Amino acid sequence: MPVVYACKNCGTRHSKSHYAKSRLCKKCGRLLLSQFITARFNTENSTGNNFSGKKPFQNRFSSISAEYFSLQKAAKNLFYKTRNQKAYSLFSQNELEKKPETKENQWWLLHIEHKNAQKLKKQLMKKYKKKSLEQTIPGKTISNTHGDFYSINEISKSEFNKMDYRKCKKNLLSDLKILSGIGPKREFKLKKDGYSSIKALENHPLWKKSASNFMNLINKKEIGQLQSHLWKNHPKSHPLIHYLAGLNKTENFAIVDIETLGLSERPIVLIGIATLRKKAVHTSQLLMRSISDEPAAIWAFTKKIHSHYSLISYNGRSFDIPYIQQRLAYYGIDCQINNPHFDLLHFTRRALRHKLRNCRLETVEEYLNIGRGINIPGALVPEFYQTYQQTGNVGPLVAIVEHNKQDLITLATLFSRLYEEWNS
Amino acid sequence: MIEKFIHRLTADSSYKKQIVHKQIMPPQKPQFGTLDKPLPKIVQKYLLANNIRLFSHQAEAINKIRKNQNVVIVTPTASGKTLTFNLPVFEVIHNDQNATSLYLYPTKALANDQLKVIRDMETQTGIKANSNIYDGDTPKHLRPTIRNKSRIVLSNPYGIHYYLPWHYKWKRFLQNLKYIIIDEAHVYRGVFGSNVAMVIRRLLRICKYYNSNPGIIISSATIANPKEHAVKLTSKEFEVVSKDGAPKGKKTFIFWNPPYTDDSKVARRSTHQETKDLLVQSVLSDLQTLCFTTSRQMAELITRWTKEELYRRSPLLSKKVTAYRAGYLPNERRAIENDLKNKNLISVVSTNALELGIDIGTLDSILISGYPGSVISTWQQAGRAGRNTKESLVTLIAFQNPLDQYFMKYPQDFFEKKHEQAIIDLHNPYITLGHVMCASCELPLRKNDNEYFPELLVQSIISLEEQNIIQKTPKGYVYSGLARPTEVVNLKSISNRNVTVTCDGKTLEVLSLNKAYDEAYQGAVLLHQAETYIVEELNLKTLIAKVRKEDVNYHTDSKKTVDVTISEKIQEKGLKPKFGFGQLVVTEFYHEYIMKTYDQIIGRRPIDLPPITFSTVGLWILIPNDIGEILNDKGLSFEGGLHAVEHAMIAIAPLFAMCDRRDIGGLSTTIHPDTGCSTIFIYDGFEGGIGISEALYSKIDQLFVKTLNLIKNCECENGCPSCIYSPKCGNENEPLDKKAALFILEKLNN
Repeated sequence: MPVVYACKNCGTRHSKSHYAKSRLCKKCGRLLLSQFITARFNTENSTGNNFSGKKPFQNRFSSISAEYFSLQKAAKNLFYKTRNQKAYSLFSQNELEKKPETKENQWWLLHIEHKNAQKLKKQLMKKYKKKSLEQTIPGKTISNTHGDFYSINEISKSEFNKMDYRKCKKNLLSDLKILSGIGPKREFKLKKDGYSSIKALENHPLWKKSASNFMNLINKKEIGQLQSHLWKNHPKSHPLIHYLAGLNKTENFAIVDIETLGLSERPIVLIGIATLRKKAVHTSQLLMRSISDEPAAIWAFTKKIHSHYSLISYNGRSFDIPYIQQRLAYYGIDCQINNPHFDLLHFTRRALRHKLRNCRLETVEEYLNIGRGINIPGALVPEFYQTYQQTGNVGPLVAIVEHNKQDLITLATLFSRLYEEWNS
Repeated sequence: MIEKFIHRLTADSSYKKQIVHKQIMPPQKPQFGTLDKPLPKIVQKYLLANNIRLFSHQAEAINKIRKNQNVVIVTPTASGKTLTFNLPVFEVIHNDQNATSLYLYPTKALANDQLKVIRDMETQTGIKANSNIYDGDTPKHLRPTIRNKSRIVLSNPYGIHYYLPWHYKWKRFLQNLKYIIIDEAHVYRGVFGSNVAMVIRRLLRICKYYNSNPGIIISSATIANPKEHAVKLTSKEFEVVSKDGAPKGKKTFIFWNPPYTDDSKVARRSTHQETKDLLVQSVLSDLQTLCFTTSRQMAELITRWTKEELYRRSPLLSKKVTAYRAGYLPNERRAIENDLKNKNLISVVSTNALELGIDIGTLDSILISGYPGSVISTWQQAGRAGRNTKESLVTLIAFQNPLDQYFMKYPQDFFEKKHEQAIIDLHNPYITLGHVMCASCELPLRKNDNEYFPELLVQSIISLEEQNIIQKTPKGYVYSGLARPTEVVNLKSISNRNVTVTCDGKTLEVLSLNKAYDEAYQGAVLLHQAETYIVEELNLKTLIAKVRKEDVNYHTDSKKTVDVTISEKIQEKGLKPKFGFGQLVVTEFYHEYIMKTYDQIIGRRPIDLPPITFSTVGLWILIPNDIGEILNDKGLSFEGGLHAVEHAMIAIAPLFAMCDRRDIGGLSTTIHPDTGCSTIFIYDGFEGGIGISEALYSKIDQLFVKTLNLIKNCECENGCPSCIYSPKCGNENEPLDKKAALFILEKLNN
């Protein structure tokens, strides 16, 4: 059929070249409509189903069809809009070096990393085509009051070092500046007078009360309260706060890392928890096979984190824990996570900032010589998960689970290394 | 004093009968009311110490509020609305040590102003509420404290829109929420108002989740539909309190029409020059005057001219005149407000920034330079003078546009006319869908949420699910899109395609795609805060318009061709003529723009943009073909007549619905394929429609009468900017035929 642009006002026909040039009717000067609309009018007019009033009267508010049509169009628009607002932006290494400010503000991703990840996704999808989740990632389904989810448990070898209890206590007590009101000058004077530790200060007429309060907290091993006590006079990244870990037993640490569909307000797809032994890391990953699994998995997470656990995370103070808290509220589950928390990002910044070009966990790994098997940039987790949801192919999940597990193990190592860094 | 001043004006040799109408409003004595049960002692003491006795409307409102009724208060400016809602709030905060209240203001400046009042009441009564503002300007380190401690929080709808997904951080506040106060609610109309209505529904949905059921107190300027507006805004039931008991002094209202420059009676003297002259006269007569202008630029210019002229006569007085507008630093604005209150300034020239309830004391005279677009605004501005029993003067100076000139011809229409309706459309699919999406990321959506979104919830859910933006789970529909929903939905625009205007990488403003086609095509001169920018590129893929700052002495007008097709007829009435109302598909093709210096055309350039299509809601009028035949016999242009009627109807439309004439589009044609007949279309210029045409359709008969009066009584011979010329016409006002238009309208009115 030749492409014809008819003026629906006077009927004059125009060629495509004319339409491309002016879009106005040669004869009457009115606008030529696109082919689709013109065609629609032709059919409507020919069947007599036009304006002259054959349709029954319709109240605006009961006319579902037209509004539904607009809604569909509106939804499509929203979809494109949400898709265009990527959680990350792509940069080349050069660009990034030229514009240092982007490092801070954006969740950026290097072109090359992005390309490699896409290649990996293709490979994985080919490899795990038509395989079920159980075949690919061994684990089991667990149910609770809020539904069920998929749990993956594994034991990996890893070293975990922390300060022992005695050394920790000694380190803390010898720093008189911990008590509010004591600065470097006064500390010097007090030490000269023979008050060498906070314990000694318990006999000092002026500092008796606050010293014995502090001793009390140490003896009770109230890590959370001690942390907030130390924050009053020390930055959050101060080694002393890291030393506090010595008060807790190795078995009472839990490393936490979550994978989500975005930076906030969107579902969590994987919660990784690792508990520690002297020579091993027990990882337990709670995977959402679909978004319906989310409340059950979060609920299971809160049950797993007993109050005597101290959490270890990377940026978890401002990201992971508030995120979980928000999702709990979203599902109407009333629960507060108040565990003591060691956010390694703070310590890493202090200890390694000058040695690294940035503090992304990947960069830190490079520095610590930790290799990764399968890896994807964290920013691509949403994209991988969506591919899994759309295709049902579990290949992309393998990458997410592996990425998360590696993060947990790295954090265990990083924790020990920071300790070694500050004790050598 | 006022009489003397008017006498002086009319006796002056330069007076050319500009005063076309003088209305005197008699003084009113205060009416007091009593409360059904006494307030807490501590609050009573406060009232006594400040010598406050409650007016009748205040007492009535408080009585209703204490009976747990939602109340909408519609009384003029300066009638003590703030006290009306502060008293119940402080009562409940005093009685219940956990109770909290939320105040919503349309602007940050207003919240700042009111915080002072509330804090002052806190110190005087000794009731501790830790009142604070929480908005985009609140420093990060203060935020947790405010969320955990404050019992009175002042914010704005934009803020609420962003904070709602984080409701768990506000748990304490929301659980104990007793009152939500929505001040200046008449501002929430049109696209913005429809969006705010959705935000408030989302807020109430979260309140329900935390088991609180706050009472809602709304205050608004006088509008025609306070109850309907409040109900639409919040989906709750309301009681109206509108009888004003505050005292008033004698008020003289004069209409001032600038004189013709010559005998041809086409052009009138500049409104701005007339304003300046009047302002100088007022200052010299020692009247403290507030002058309202329609643009920031004019506020600055009139100030400059006035100062220059005053300087020649009295340098001291010229220092007591200043301008005031948004864009000044907050402390500068505070200083001006205080100087005005303390009478250190004799005159301030302001944009409508001073129209809302910021406290500036009371003045002697108000100059309104150009009809501000609505009866509501005019009365709000007029209410700035003559508080208590003081005598005052209000002068409205007309522009030479159809609406202003209409009022000059029919002043009684202004005084007798009911105030406009505030229009909110809860059926715009683009707006509703965006907020349903936002709601889905605050709490999972369930079918019973149609309590909050009764209009389109079920269909919205289906549409969103189809696009994978939400997913069904046993807990309800859960948001699973990729972006943060609150960032996709913009309260000032319809959630669709928006163009971001950037200059050197910085965002200047966000325009809807329609507006961008109209104002931000390549080569266009874009006005932003009275600065001129040239558009270098409009990229339709990325939806970004790049502009560069450049001072130019010309402006640009785009020319377009419009086509309208009827996609669905919703209602029809009348026989001859026949009116219809329904869904339209509008195609606009911008093909050329004109560069103009003043009214001189200095160049034409083509625009290279594809046609833009959007669906909206509109009305149509079918003109019987026999009228055309009669007109042709008479030698008049039928086409010109239709075109003129269309322009005049659009110009007069803001009389009926609170909107700007640029929010409405129109098309007239001697034959339309969908109707088979001569047709005039009038449609909402927003994707999905915003309720303007719907309001016009319901008052179509009155619309014709007013349109006819407008054209009939214009003194020009063949049409002028006061009647049928449109500044936004896509066809350069060609063809137009005034006589044919009159003939058509007379036929229609029969």
